[in-house]
Amino acid sequence: MTVRILALVTDAYGMRGGIARYNRDLFEALAGNGVEIFVLPRHGNAQGLTLPAGISQFPAVLDRLRFCLVSLRVAWRCRPVDVVFCGHVFMAPFARLVARLTGARYWLQAHGTEVWTDRSEMVRRAIEAADMVSTVSRATRRLLLDWVDLAPCRVRVLPNTVDDRFTPGPPSEAMRNRLQLGPGPVLLTVGRLSSAERYKGHEQVFAALPTLRRQFPDLVHVVAGDGDDRARLEQRAAELAGDRRAVRFLGYVPDDELPDLYRLADLFVMPSSDEGFGIVYLEAAACGLRVIGGAGGGSGDAIPDGRVGVVVDPDDRDALVAAVLHLVGQGRVDPAAIEPYRRPHFAAAAARLLARLLAQPRRMRGAA
Amino acid sequence: MCGIAGIHAYLGPAAPVDRAELARMNDRMAARGPDGSGLWLSDDGRVGFAHRRLAIIDLSDAGAQPMHSACGRHTITFNGEIYNYRELRAELQAKGHSFRSGSDTEVMLQLYAEYGADMVGRLRGMFAFGLWDAAKRVLLLARDPLGIKPLYWADDGWTMRFASQAKALLAGGKLECQPDPAGIVGFHLFGSVPEPFTVWRGIQALPAGTTLIVDPSGPGAPRRYYDVATALGDRASKSVGAAAEPSRQLAEAVRDSVRHHLVADVPVAVFLSAGLDSGALLGTMAGLGARDVTAVTLGFGEFKGLPNDEVPLAAEMAERYGARHVVRTIDRTEFEHDLQAIFDAMDLPTIDGINTWFVAKAAREAGIKVALSGLGADECFGGYPSFADLPRSVHWIRPFSWFPGLGVLARHALSTDITKGLGLHPKMAGILEYGGSWAGAYMLRRSVYMPWELDELLEPTALREGLRRLAPLSGIARALQAGRTLGAFDKVATLETTLYMRNQLLRDADWAGMAHGVEIRVPYVDPFFLASLPPGDVLARLDAKQAVAEVPVPPLPAAIRSRPKTGFATPVGRWLSDAAGASAGHGVDFSAASRTWALRVWQHGWAAPAPG
Repeated sequence: MTVRILALVTDAYGMRGGIARYNRDLFEALAGNGVEIFVLPRHGNAQGLTLPAGISQFPAVLDRLRFCLVSLRVAWRCRPVDVVFCGHVFMAPFARLVARLTGARYWLQAHGTEVWTDRSEMVRRAIEAADMVSTVSRATRRLLLDWVDLAPCRVRVLPNTVDDRFTPGPPSEAMRNRLQLGPGPVLLTVGRLSSAERYKGHEQVFAALPTLRRQFPDLVHVVAGDGDDRARLEQRAAELAGDRRAVRFLGYVPDDELPDLYRLADLFVMPSSDEGFGIVYLEAAACGLRVIGGAGGGSGDAIPDGRVGVVVDPDDRDALVAAVLHLVGQGRVDPAAIEPYRRPHFAAAAARLLARLLAQPRRMRGAA
Repeated sequence: MCGIAGIHAYLGPAAPVDRAELARMNDRMAARGPDGSGLWLSDDGRVGFAHRRLAIIDLSDAGAQPMHSACGRHTITFNGEIYNYRELRAELQAKGHSFRSGSDTEVMLQLYAEYGADMVGRLRGMFAFGLWDAAKRVLLLARDPLGIKPLYWADDGWTMRFASQAKALLAGGKLECQPDPAGIVGFHLFGSVPEPFTVWRGIQALPAGTTLIVDPSGPGAPRRYYDVATALGDRASKSVGAAAEPSRQLAEAVRDSVRHHLVADVPVAVFLSAGLDSGALLGTMAGLGARDVTAVTLGFGEFKGLPNDEVPLAAEMAERYGARHVVRTIDRTEFEHDLQAIFDAMDLPTIDGINTWFVAKAAREAGIKVALSGLGADECFGGYPSFADLPRSVHWIRPFSWFPGLGVLARHALSTDITKGLGLHPKMAGILEYGGSWAGAYMLRRSVYMPWELDELLEPTALREGLRRLAPLSGIARALQAGRTLGAFDKVATLETTLYMRNQLLRDADWAGMAHGVEIRVPYVDPFFLASLPPGDVLARLDAKQAVAEVPVPPLPAAIRSRPKTGFATPVGRWLSDAAGASAGHGVDFSAASRTWALRVWQHGWAAPAPG
């Protein structure tokens, strides 16, 4: 029997970014073996891309009302639809409608920040109608359950997976020489430098550098990523770090260079206070790098225990300094700690969620 | 009878089970099991069980837990007693199973191997357990049909935790104790927290009569295998035309239940009041040949020589049935002395349980490990005034509900001053609004506060959210949903059994008894017993309470049978009221006392309890 999934998402193929990547990972984990996925995105163009077997993507529709109408038309064309997958809480109200009209089960995915920003009554009710909700992190799950009335068993966690490119390996001398980082140690932060995402904690690291460099005079903080906040952050780095050489802004680093950048560093530091999951923590750890994350948000899920790293209060500078001093000499991460995030485990977990959804009866109105 | 706990890291990225956390959970329940403790972690570290043991059946080490099956595939941590374990054991032996111990726990393991999760329908007894099936990699949690033994669970999306006590889950130190407005509103409405809520957001009670399976994708929805409304409906439909001699049928049912509840390798005592229900238990025990029975009665100095002193009548019964009679006198000083320990043992906020605390304390002092209690008799025999009042209320007030808004209007018109002036309880303002439906009338009867009174006690947002999530009236009405229509008696019996008895009486009996390491057995709370009674309409006509008095041979003394029901006949009401800081005159209205006491209990800091 073929299972048909209509996926209503913000973006998947033809777009960059965390949610698009998560969606692609999920669809590729589920597709094939009798599962067909029809993706209708708001953004992104998949023309010219070869999509994996069992996955097809319709042209993107940005306008909300048109998106709703098109999703009904697509649902009709792809009928019978067994599951309507909704990739973003914003779209829950009409995903619920499409699911109801098509008689399909309704699977909602919650990523992070959207759960604690949009708290309208309509969205709440649309979430509560879901047959199953999956979240990227335990923190998102907890926030969701604090807000909506859903039986806890309906809200499952499916953490991000880490790409196979991210593996431990020897540091690239060529890159080290090109970047002229000196003898180190090297602290690395990877993330967008966006004025909308100032929670990532760059400034907290800059402020810790004078203390750290007293013990390690050659210590460098390497900042990878670009965005509209870069000029401001460069200014802040100069003010806080006390030495212009202490912080290196690399700008945007292409995906294929990231593994080498991680292998080059000694410690990944991003004391973010509001990360939905923090895939970069996982990528760093998958390359063997120990990780310091920030308390708050879902960072704890990418840094499950001491084998990978620690989570600190971003506003506690002493704790951050202590964590860096403690971890910098600890050696590489045990690959076994990252193994559960690898693709085969992610695929198995995703398949279990789909099986669970299909095994349970469709929810009737008002049932818990 | 014991305390159980467990942790299962079901999702790949979850950290392996932390032995120290499990040990902290187990230690919090030390009082539940003074005879031993056990801790087990699977080889891969993904599952861990803990157990505190109160040894009652198979006192040897062979009965220690967590217990593994001979093949090593199944592991169980179990709290409770299985009264039909010998029959089940014989049945399994006939199917080729062999046994290594004389314990009921081993029977559970083999029963699971034979029937899977459906085994729960075969068990006669009280139980809560966690069972790990290493081959299927599933964890089964289950709770007895009527909710005698508690079981709480918490799932963070990666890791599942469970324990006999909500406070034990908190003591592990890995859970946040964020308050749950639904449970808090529930406590203020009913004086106990209605399952599946607790007062902590992340902790759920596993509902009575359900099983829950945790597979590698996490816990599924609790699956109901027993429902009181359905059981009473089945009883009514099966008994049509039968029950020529209902008194005899009732007597047989009581005898059979008491006989089953005497299964133990230690002596079984009885909590004896001056009521018919506990007296009938003692008389039946004697009739069944139980030897060296001890009966424990609470006495109060304040009542000495007054009609509500239960001691003389209890003594008469003890003498009649040849029991050793232990009378333990409690006074206010002792109550005040124990108060802190009572709050510490109280697992969820409740306005009751104080009497059970003292009678269990007395039992332990007398060296008793197991005692029968008459709890549940009022629910099955129609002993509460609600059996008469609720049908009357629904009958007379229902017509008013045909006029929308009339009830609310009447409530607003009957302000607090007017109800006080008329000498009415403040709840009575809601009589037209609530009294016309079964759920509403039941809520009026059993509530401590009514919803409209709570805005003076709770913060508005929390109150609104709590009422929305709790949905108290639909929660009550849900208890009555069954395949068939129930008669009035069975409707009230269902409500009292499913709500008051389960959320208040049984939960209180558990924490207050187990705090002293005393197992309280309840022969009137047993699905097999309920099924073998005559149907509800027959019980209603029969005057079942008097029929209970006839069960023992010789029957209960005439003085007991003619004694009017005194209800909460202890000075505890006054102590509670005083302890709560309310000014009480000579005559304490327990209903008013329970309100002030409820507030005192709530002020004890439930939102952030000390983990210790």
